[in-house]
Amino acid sequence: MKKEAVEAIVAGLKQAGINFVSMLPDSDFTDAQKAVMADKEFTCVPVSNEAIAFGVCAGAWVGGKKPALLITTDGIMASAFPLTTLNLQKNIPVLMVVPYRGSLGDGIWFVGPMAFTTEPLLKDLQVAYTVINKIDDVTKAIRDAQLSAEAWLRPTAVLLAGEVIFEEA
Amino acid sequence: MKKPECIKILDKKLPQDVLVVTPTGKTYMYWEATGREAQFTQLNLGLCTPAGLGLALALPHRKVVVLDGDGNILFNLASIADLAVQNPGNLIDIVFDNECYQSCDSFPSVTAKGVQLESIAKGCGIKNALTVRSLVEFEAAVDKALAGQELFFIVVKVEPGEDLVTLPRQEGRENKYRFVRYVERTENIRIINPYPRRRKKDFLPSN
Repeated sequence: MKKEAVEAIVAGLKQAGINFVSMLPDSDFTDAQKAVMADKEFTCVPVSNEAIAFGVCAGAWVGGKKPALLITTDGIMASAFPLTTLNLQKNIPVLMVVPYRGSLGDGIWFVGPMAFTTEPLLKDLQVAYTVINKIDDVTKAIRDAQLSAEAWLRPTAVLLAGEVIFEEA
Repeated sequence: MKKPECIKILDKKLPQDVLVVTPTGKTYMYWEATGREAQFTQLNLGLCTPAGLGLALALPHRKVVVLDGDGNILFNLASIADLAVQNPGNLIDIVFDNECYQSCDSFPSVTAKGVQLESIAKGCGIKNALTVRSLVEFEAAVDKALAGQELFFIVVKVEPGEDLVTLPRQEGRENKYRFVRYVERTENIRIINPYPRRRKKDFLPSN
């Protein structure tokens, strides 16, 4: 991930007022995750699976924090249960920032199925989302997604694709 | 030892401002019947301890008590490891272990087959992990945990079977609003913000 992309993600989280982040690493996202962990403006809670992260973020939100999840595309699938029985059931907001594995340009064979499962799953789970391909668009997209999550009391997602996560081979 | 007896002891001992997180099932119904305001209830399988962890980290100056169950925490066993690593000194995690899925005709959980939650918690690094098997031991453990500023993980071996309970009146969204409004009031903060993008000229400056 390019340095400019990492800076755009961190800037977006800060401008959105995010102050609590839970995460599980992804191979093309660790630069951004490390930058967030190194920044003292965020309380960071790495977890062992994404379902735990949704619970942690819900607890943080009712405690007054503005939480975000930096999780993998796999993590969305692993989180269908908490998204349904916690965020949708109780109307609890959370911002998800996700490197979109399986978006066009991804060159790893085993993420191919995610090209067909990720967006339908988000729609089924009633998560409003946007796909961002340009680094220049990242900061505003994160800010907007958090604003709507907060207003609607719902989870929202920013899927990062194109030049944001893929460097030229 | 029966769970409702433990609930009565907790209701007697916990100050009203302790934030209590409960799972789905009878535990939340017993606790809701206490009428306490500071309760975040009906956290589904595997989500009760994580939610308590997030709450404890968000409000480190407040005591948080989680009332989890064996079936619930087994669903997300790794949450014990994450709890141990974060090690919030303001959190008391109580796990009522009846060795079964009570609401599913007492179908046995793995703790009925020798799996020990205390050992798992200790293996994860929680120093104050213990198992209690009587009301006297339970009271002593709660007193010690309340007096200190360290993470406690208390496995409470209770008999299977539940008492009849008052039909709950709050569904999950209402409970969330009540709890959030309670936190807003007692912490003097705003959590729910339905108009984050508003025209400033339409509203008083204090908004």
